[in-house]
Amino acid sequence: MTLAGLSAPPRLAWRILTHEKGRALLATAGVFIAILLVFIELGFFVAVPQGGMLVYDHLRFDLLLCSKDYAFQAEPWQFPRARLTEAAKIAGVAQATPLFFAGAKWQEPRGGYRLDAFVIGFDPAARPYAVADIERQQAALARPATMLVDDATRSIFGPLNPGTEVLLNNFKVTIGGDYTLGTGFLGMGVALVDEANFFRLFAPRPADMVNLGLISLAPGTDPAKAAAALAKALPDDVQIFTRETLKQHEDKYWTTRTSVGLIFGSGLIISFIVGIMVLYQTLATQITRHLPEFATLKAIGYSHSYLAAIVVIEAAMIVLVAFVPAAAAAWAIYAQLRAATLLPVALTPARLAAVLVITLIMSAASAFMSLSNLRRADPADVF
Amino acid sequence: MAALDAARPRTRGVPLAWRNLVANKRRLLRSSAGIAFAALLMMVQLGFEQGFFDASLSAVRVLDGDLFVQSAYKYRFGTRDPFDHGELDKVHTVAGIASAEPLYADWQDFFWTSPLDGKPYLVRVFAFNPDRPSVFTLPDIVGQQSLLESDDTVLVDRRARAFLDMDGSAKETDLNGQRVQIAGSFELGPDFMSDGTVVMSDRLFAKLLPGNRDSAANLPIEAIVIKLAPGESVPTVQNALRAALPNTSWVATKAELVDFERQFQEKLSSAGPIFWLGAIVGFVVGMLISYQVIYTDLSDQLSQYATLKAIGYKTSYLVRSVLGQAALSALAGYVPAWLLCIAAYRVIGAFALLPLHMTLRLTALTLGLTLGMCLLAAILAVRRVISADPAEIF
Repeated sequence: MTLAGLSAPPRLAWRILTHEKGRALLATAGVFIAILLVFIELGFFVAVPQGGMLVYDHLRFDLLLCSKDYAFQAEPWQFPRARLTEAAKIAGVAQATPLFFAGAKWQEPRGGYRLDAFVIGFDPAARPYAVADIERQQAALARPATMLVDDATRSIFGPLNPGTEVLLNNFKVTIGGDYTLGTGFLGMGVALVDEANFFRLFAPRPADMVNLGLISLAPGTDPAKAAAALAKALPDDVQIFTRETLKQHEDKYWTTRTSVGLIFGSGLIISFIVGIMVLYQTLATQITRHLPEFATLKAIGYSHSYLAAIVVIEAAMIVLVAFVPAAAAAWAIYAQLRAATLLPVALTPARLAAVLVITLIMSAASAFMSLSNLRRADPADVF
Repeated sequence: MAALDAARPRTRGVPLAWRNLVANKRRLLRSSAGIAFAALLMMVQLGFEQGFFDASLSAVRVLDGDLFVQSAYKYRFGTRDPFDHGELDKVHTVAGIASAEPLYADWQDFFWTSPLDGKPYLVRVFAFNPDRPSVFTLPDIVGQQSLLESDDTVLVDRRARAFLDMDGSAKETDLNGQRVQIAGSFELGPDFMSDGTVVMSDRLFAKLLPGNRDSAANLPIEAIVIKLAPGESVPTVQNALRAALPNTSWVATKAELVDFERQFQEKLSSAGPIFWLGAIVGFVVGMLISYQVIYTDLSDQLSQYATLKAIGYKTSYLVRSVLGQAALSALAGYVPAWLLCIAAYRVIGAFALLPLHMTLRLTALTLGLTLGMCLLAAILAVRRVISADPAEIF
């Protein structure tokens, strides 16, 4: 084969592909949809653990102190507040502030359903939330019987306008304002109150047990080393997560403890196979239809691997052409899903790359499968 | 013309659609595989959707009663909103009732120490008086109810998530810090809020519930499970109960209770749209695959179709044949997909603890969708046969 001949397979593959435009379009459409489904299933697969991390992502802390029995964010268990005081004395610890969690029945004063709201109590002066709306409304939090509500709280909870009065565990509480964060998997509605209001609402809950401790380190302190120092200094009724180990823990919880991993994982596998099927269907049909041409090429001396290269390149071309609109459509659908399910589904470069790799594997597998059809291109049979 | 008319009935007996379908075995295999995977995708996604609803409705479905009383402020069954024993006394004043049993339940306050790792996990708890008629239909609960009469025994859900270790190997563990004996098990399965379920007597429930009430008579009731005396009509007793109870109580038939729970899931959870989206993708992919198959087939045999036209076969006959072929290829893909799906349900259901079952409804729905996608593809492709002009082809 001459050097000039080396560029021929891509050109030939392109010609075969564009020879029948309608057919090529159809094949691309099929692959497009299969890739789109891969995007969607992968989106959910990743979005669910991310939904579990949403609130943590908006809290200021370097280390998380929690009970040794901590399961996941909405089931954190409790530990003695004294551990926070002890932690604050360790070198490198700048601040240790508690978060208090409780469930409360939310009812509009005129009656109606008693809904389950997730209430978080904290000390606004410690500024644990990295959310501008919350920091701006510190004055509202300080007022007695006043709360801030997450604006992702479901509409069934009624109007959330500032000044609205609702019953929380039969106490009249005024909505002081709202903020944009997202409820993650804490529940259908989330409200924030300061510590004083929290213990008024949930009396007689003892104030010496906390659900989570947020630890900020002095600048330049290594989180992993500080975590080890804390673990050594504190009794074993608590455990310490760095941001990294916390993410690993929550990811593991959502993908293995719940059915999320299996549901979207199996969806991912099936969409992958469907993609291979569509592509294989297209390639095999095209090879069968062009069998005389392939046989002719063989007869005039082109090798089997040359013809195989054409098929492989054709498969790659189809997936690459289909990938671009699929990524664009996934971007639009992710935006819709974000709005509809309130899960943080985003099209990150890493996810784009992952799907691209998956689709290239898809094209390679289907091309490999259809090569057996090519083997039938026997000049002696065809003519 | 008369001769042709006479000839037609005989050739009409030729199963053209069938012969076309099986003419090329390789192609048949390829196209059925494509259609099968599209159908499998729809089945799995719709199966998840159904499994999700079944899981969330299972606890309500296993309640054994004709009528139920619960707080009118409840937005779903699976949340605490109890009332006191006064309502039970009012229920007992209504005629036509054979039994009215209080059901105690909790979703947020019971922590089960998993024998596996010694850590406490939140579980769902149901409690009732074991000396009275059962409030559950599950034979394993009805049959083992007497085991709950000791003051520290519980029954556990052997289909609970594995990390709770309720499969029956452990004989005792801690519940809210107190030792309990695991006397037996039943099969219910987790839903999307609870990982496992524990059933116990009202006396033990009173002892273990935080804020200790000691005696079952002081326990707030979550629901009253009512069975009617033989020959009583449900609507009559339901109306009598409504009249006897304050409007803070809701009196529902079992169907109404199940429907109430379903409506909550449909309104407030995002599971439905997620799985339907997957099913729609399966439908579109399947349509594209079968369009490609049919279109290629028609192109290859255009001259044959033109010949049939030229010798007097009506277009409608040829269209029917193409549609018939599409329906047959839908079936050829559907049957293996259906079998494969049953295996997939088994495997995924066992690991995800999701009630995945190939029900008649699911079979009919997915068969309809598979036929629909193939026929729709055939209708789009058949224009080629309609426009096949013998004069142009030869």
